[in-house]
Amino acid sequence: MNLDLTWRLLKGGGRRGLLGAWLTLGAVAVSTALLLFAVAVNFAFAARADRGAWRNPVPAEAGAVAIEAARFDFVGDQVITVVDLAALDARAAAGARPPGMPRLPAPGEVWLSPALAELARKLPADQLAERYPDPAGVLGDEALVYPGELVAVVGHAPDAPAMTAAGTRDGALGKGPAKVADLTGTPSEDSEAYRALTLVASVLMVVPLLVFGGAAARLTVARRDWRLAALRLVGATPGQVVRMTVAEAVIVALAGALLGAAAYAAAAPLLAGIPIAGGSWFVSDVLPGPLPLAAVLAGVPLLVGLSAVVGLRRVVVSPLGVAKRETPPAMRFVRVLALFAVLAAFPLLTRGTSIGIVAVALGLAFLCVNLAGPWVVSLIGRITAGSARRPAGLLAGRRLVDDPRSAWRTVSGVALTGFVAGFIGLLSPSAFAGDGEPPQLLVSAPAGQAEAVAGQARDRLRAAGVRATVRVSRRGTGDALVATALGSYADPATIDRARTALTGLMPGRTPTTRADDERFATQLLADIRMGTTVVLSVSFLVAIASAGITAASSILDRRQTYALLRLAGTPLEVLDRARRAETLVPLTVMGGGAILVGVFCAMPFMIGGMSVAGAITLGACVVVGFGGVVGAGALSRPLLRSVTADPAPRPD
Amino acid sequence: MDSRPIRQARHPANLEAMNDVLVGRALTKRFGQTVALGGVDITIGAAEAVAIMGPSGSGKSTLLHCLAGIMKPDGGEVSLLGRRIDTMRERERSALRRTRFGFVFQFGQLLPELPAEENVALPLMLGGVPRTQAVRQAREWFAPLGLHTMETRRPGELSGGQAQRVAIARALVSRPAVVFADEPTGALDQRTGHDTMRLLVEATRHNGASLIVVTHDQNVASWCDRTVEVRDGLLLVPGGVGA
Ligand SMILES: Nc1ncnc2c1ncn2[C@@H]1O[C@H](COP(=O)(O)OP(=O)(O)O)[C@@H](O)[C@H]1O
Ligand SMILES: [Mg+2]
Repeated sequence: MNLDLTWRLLKGGGRRGLLGAWLTLGAVAVSTALLLFAVAVNFAFAARADRGAWRNPVPAEAGAVAIEAARFDFVGDQVITVVDLAALDARAAAGARPPGMPRLPAPGEVWLSPALAELARKLPADQLAERYPDPAGVLGDEALVYPGELVAVVGHAPDAPAMTAAGTRDGALGKGPAKVADLTGTPSEDSEAYRALTLVASVLMVVPLLVFGGAAARLTVARRDWRLAALRLVGATPGQVVRMTVAEAVIVALAGALLGAAAYAAAAPLLAGIPIAGGSWFVSDVLPGPLPLAAVLAGVPLLVGLSAVVGLRRVVVSPLGVAKRETPPAMRFVRVLALFAVLAAFPLLTRGTSIGIVAVALGLAFLCVNLAGPWVVSLIGRITAGSARRPAGLLAGRRLVDDPRSAWRTVSGVALTGFVAGFIGLLSPSAFAGDGEPPQLLVSAPAGQAEAVAGQARDRLRAAGVRATVRVSRRGTGDALVATALGSYADPATIDRARTALTGLMPGRTPTTRADDERFATQLLADIRMGTTVVLSVSFLVAIASAGITAASSILDRRQTYALLRLAGTPLEVLDRARRAETLVPLTVMGGGAILVGVFCAMPFMIGGMSVAGAITLGACVVVGFGGVVGAGALSRPLLRSVTADPAPRPD
Repeated sequence: MDSRPIRQARHPANLEAMNDVLVGRALTKRFGQTVALGGVDITIGAAEAVAIMGPSGSGKSTLLHCLAGIMKPDGGEVSLLGRRIDTMRERERSALRRTRFGFVFQFGQLLPELPAEENVALPLMLGGVPRTQAVRQAREWFAPLGLHTMETRRPGELSGGQAQRVAIARALVSRPAVVFADEPTGALDQRTGHDTMRLLVEATRHNGASLIVVTHDQNVASWCDRTVEVRDGLLLVPGGVGA
């Protein structure tokens, strides 16, 4: 390969030639960093799921060495994960070491995570520390899902009540005792749900990213096609020309990818601070492993090279570099039919549908919006061109018809983000409003023992100096509920003192308030909102950068025609207005349409009416998207001025 | 042929004939160290076709650009029908180019996404002519230029010669005073080039417009009323001083 010549071409490209290379470099760096992010979050959630797996026991058929149970306790508005462990056979259990601990805890022993130990020291003992007396050790990070997690491991004898009780009253709030062969466990359903949602989010981010990378690659080519056409004229073979340009694009892309990776690494500590599912992240979790990193670093230049080849076809075909443009075949209506078909399926989905199917349907709808996009753009173009009275409208309309795909590329990012925003806008209801009922701690007990348990509770609360009324409320069959009402004015500290006093009242069960029970749903909603914000920020960043890059490369592509039109007296404003209309008209129609489609797809999953938060998110998206694209387009105006200022356009 | 570089002085400066459309006087232009124009006097009469010839790099395009108000000369004056244009602001010159001048370049001047007729109609629309009327007017140029049935084709679907004829129609559609053509057939084969050039000369003459055409082809020059030779930024006058 003519690497030497390639390198000289790159260096000798002149100031404006280098501008293209720098723009590409920057664009590739941004997309690599974001791509790494989109990839790394999946591994980050997987790492969390794996580290949390040991608390989700898998019952063993044979060879059990220990009994394990997991439940949740609460302090203030924080969740504590409590793992009850009992070694069955001391010798065999020596090998079954829980993560973050040197051995299984002895009966009566308590191990706390660093954050929990710290909190126990800080709060008055009767609010927290007395629940986990005399901690024997501190858990290592391997035991924790996230750095500040509150975890307690409590050792028991195999025949202790906590290890034989029938489990908690609600499966979602813990796992009853199970005999286990080791402490590997399996990722919890919750963590799997998070991983599925993350995958959906990644898909939503990656699609515009790939589009963006392609646009960036075309930018290098746009700067080069003239010189390459000249090379062709002096007799370089098409193969040589292609190899040189591709080598150039790949060199730039590789540099950009490395820069992007460095930028991501630098940003990792910041990203690690984003709280999801109760806490922030270990920095090592948000850093992609060597394999995904290598894949991205190799894949990005490869994609850029590919897109450069596609962009070059034109130059190679004609040595004069004249675009042989013909009337484009009309976009097929099938594209739109596909969208309608997928949309028709959406009302069949319900809130009960599994997340997998929803993700697939969502992905399909997303793809179909992308498929239908160019068709609609070309329709808009025909309407605009047909009804245009002034030159700018005519130019814009004809251009949309001529190359609806490239016009769609400019707006697709924002339009697809509009789809996401429309979809999620409806799905982020405000958090459950507190219903203001006086706090009471509930714990279930077998109907026969309920009265005795209630009596015990009264004694314990009296001893702890907490004023409360304890009642037994019967349920239909089986278990009864022991309710400890703390009065309307109970503050969080009082509730924690009551919790501490009632610890171990029913072995293996935690007294909880209604707010505690709803905490997981609240958490999930908060996480969805956080995730939405992240996805929308990334998509918008990409979409706007992409619009800017596309605008720049479309100017560079057509700089000769622009320059000659300007020489012939066409005012710059007409060219600029045409360029603006070319973006804004499809943006308005497609962005609006995509939001509506997104809203439509979200309808089956709506919880109550549309929330204020959702409406604000949507509105902000519209404003930011529109403003961003207009701004990005305006940024390339100096470029338009500079390519048309040259009185004698010539190959550079 | 005895040629030596001198400043052409066909008309004394104070005796501009009324039918002189475009006059350039003592035009100079430098690019850094390069002297592209070294003081050129040139006068173009009404409906006159002038061929500009000379080796590559001799300053032909620069002269054309100065006369057309695309470039400001460093020194000298350019007047169109007695009005100085070199002192105008870019906006005015741009409007002037749009309304009083027509241009035919080597290639690449047609917008690839517009059908031929809209490419031709564009200067009219820029001048405020309503679209339907502009397109109707544009269509009238197609048959005379041998472009019948090409109206709705796009530039990519035209041959090089056809595309240049569309460009000629576009240059003439707004009834300019002067048409500038910089190597308009440079990208065509010789035969097509000749045909196209003849059409250009005839069509401009027929429309009463003056023509300034840069060419390398001696035959082309012979169809024009007059030929001027440029050498190192100066005009050569055949047979010595004067004409
Ligand atoms: N924009 C420019 N920048 C620098 N030098 C230029 C520029 N335009 C023309 N020149 C130089 O001025 C001289 C005349 O150029 P030009 O008028 O284009 O020649 P021609 O059209 O006769 O081939 C040449 O030496 C050329 O290199
Ligand atoms: Mg020239």
